[in-house]
Amino acid sequence: MSDRWSLAPAAGALADAWAELRVHKLRVLLSLIGIAVAVGALTAVVALGELQRQVAAEQSDRFGGRIATIMVGAYREDGAPMNWDAMDARFDRVAERYDFSRTSRIVDGAVTVPVQLPEGVTSLPARLVDPDYAAIHRLALLEGRWFVEGDTELLAPPVVISEGLWDTIGRKPIAQHPTLTMTGDLAGTYQVVGVTPRDGPWDVAPRVDLLYDTYRERLEAIPSDISVMREIWVPVEIVGELGPVLAMDLRAGAEPGLTITVNRTDWGAQAGFADSALIFQLVTGAIAGIVLLLGALSLINIQLVAMRQRIREIGVRRSFGATSGRIFTSVFLENVVATTIAGAVGIVLVVLVMRSDWVIELMFPGIQDVPPFPFSAAVTGLVASVVVGAIAGLIPALVALRVKVIDAIRF
Amino acid sequence: MTLVSLRGVAKHVLLPDDSRLDILHAIDLDVDAGDHVSIVGRSGSGKTTLLNILGLLDAPSAGEVTFGDESTLAIRAGRLDRMRGANVGFVFQQFNLLAGRTALENVAMPLSYSTGTAFWQRNALAAAMLDRVGLSHRLTSLPDRLSGGEQQRVAIARALVRKPRLILADEPTGALDVETGASVMSLLDEVAAESGAALVTITHDLHVAARARRHYRLDAGVLQPVNLDEAFAASTHAEPTARVSTRGKKR
Repeated sequence: MSDRWSLAPAAGALADAWAELRVHKLRVLLSLIGIAVAVGALTAVVALGELQRQVAAEQSDRFGGRIATIMVGAYREDGAPMNWDAMDARFDRVAERYDFSRTSRIVDGAVTVPVQLPEGVTSLPARLVDPDYAAIHRLALLEGRWFVEGDTELLAPPVVISEGLWDTIGRKPIAQHPTLTMTGDLAGTYQVVGVTPRDGPWDVAPRVDLLYDTYRERLEAIPSDISVMREIWVPVEIVGELGPVLAMDLRAGAEPGLTITVNRTDWGAQAGFADSALIFQLVTGAIAGIVLLLGALSLINIQLVAMRQRIREIGVRRSFGATSGRIFTSVFLENVVATTIAGAVGIVLVVLVMRSDWVIELMFPGIQDVPPFPFSAAVTGLVASVVVGAIAGLIPALVALRVKVIDAIRF
Repeated sequence: MTLVSLRGVAKHVLLPDDSRLDILHAIDLDVDAGDHVSIVGRSGSGKTTLLNILGLLDAPSAGEVTFGDESTLAIRAGRLDRMRGANVGFVFQQFNLLAGRTALENVAMPLSYSTGTAFWQRNALAAAMLDRVGLSHRLTSLPDRLSGGEQQRVAIARALVRKPRLILADEPTGALDVETGASVMSLLDEVAAESGAALVTITHDLHVAARARRHYRLDAGVLQPVNLDEAFAASTHAEPTARVSTRGKKR
């Protein structure tokens, strides 16, 4: 191998740098604690930003549906009663062409059901849905299960109740098949198959989730004064094109006076969520940046002092053939290698901490889909540690370059 | 064949008060391959400066240095460094071993500036060289765990590990007692002779100087051949020891 293209100088410089770190373990360790902490903080900030975004997304999903959720609504401008069965038929006819994977009808806030409770028959708010509602809204149950296809065939139709209502009926375990008795048009016994968790400590309201079809079968018609919405979960890539086409299809041939609305309701359509996550990340990132800067200054300081003690060593190395470029590279690499290792340690520690279920549960209670540790956070941390090493290494390396060999080896 | 040649070499430096200090005056010296030259002189006579110029560590203020067949005037710094690494080995009075590095790492250090097999096999070559100087049992010892004589033997192994054509020894026995110094010099002579390298020794010690084939005296920057017998006789009358001057600051 020719001298010009030999790998030896690069390998040698790296070996020198590693040997120097090994020999001065304590000094290196002390100087790098700050870097490890700073890089760890930076990595944690990026990762926390991702988790925060996930938490915000999940909370938003519970209200507006997952990305991307389209909501179809209908009303009559002329005040005539709304025929929801006809609207269902219209939607099903159009939906055949689209092959939607998840759709659900929703009636929320406009329906009450008479339930026999210990204190008497009580009218409780009910939500009418289809089984796909849980997937679209990322609904997790406290106990039991959600609705499935075929539940309407059961002799005792299933209901899912809120934790507040579960408390009222004595928190009987789901495995023991607790039931609810309703009166009026909905008279009958309903099997409680699941319990939805509270939204917070304040949430003690009794509520009932009922399948739309179960409700519909017991009534002659859906009352015309309530509004039935239809949610569709579609891939985000096509939602932009799909919305207008779907609206056009649904409106085609609609009778006069019927207005059909098609909107996107998930949080991805709102700019505010992304902005707040970005602000959180920028503020915490700036703090981590300052910590990183302080760590770098401390490293430069220690390395400059160390360089004063290494003048003789540099002189000896130069007298045995080390070029000034080689000395520069070795000192420079020492810092880059050291900060990279310190950064990697910081990143690994943060990954270990943030992969801990206990920590996640403590910081983000209720999060369902814990995202994998963001690769971007690890890369950001690693790049930061290399850049800090390069900056902190440049100054001592320039000092090393100025060492005069004959003075260095004289005494 | 002349290995290194000095023609009319002078060296001066400017002092902080802008006055000029002349260190070397019109030095002419040829060192042949396999030669053994000693240079004696008082402290401050310019011995170390002369050695630095011979070893391509310092450039003369005037005159010309030729290494091999090449004048060093036109050689760029990086190439000069590589040329020095490949061709010159230094043995210092204070050993100058790298603290915190084992004997093996110290001896392997010059090889880390070489290329090819010498670089990749540096630890094996260093171990073999330490074996040659009788320190195969001290490979992993740190310098502060070695005696003065052992440290200088490590330094000799380090100077010779790249098989240099020129070995420059600056007061190699200066920090050793008389017996250890004699043993170290015997070893240095031996391994230098084995490798066919030229050896230039600067020393205060006439016994050390006497081991060389050619002897010079540097006095106030002027280099002259010296008859060691006369020097021995003079020193025997003048001083109870064989030293020509007290140890002091070098330049």
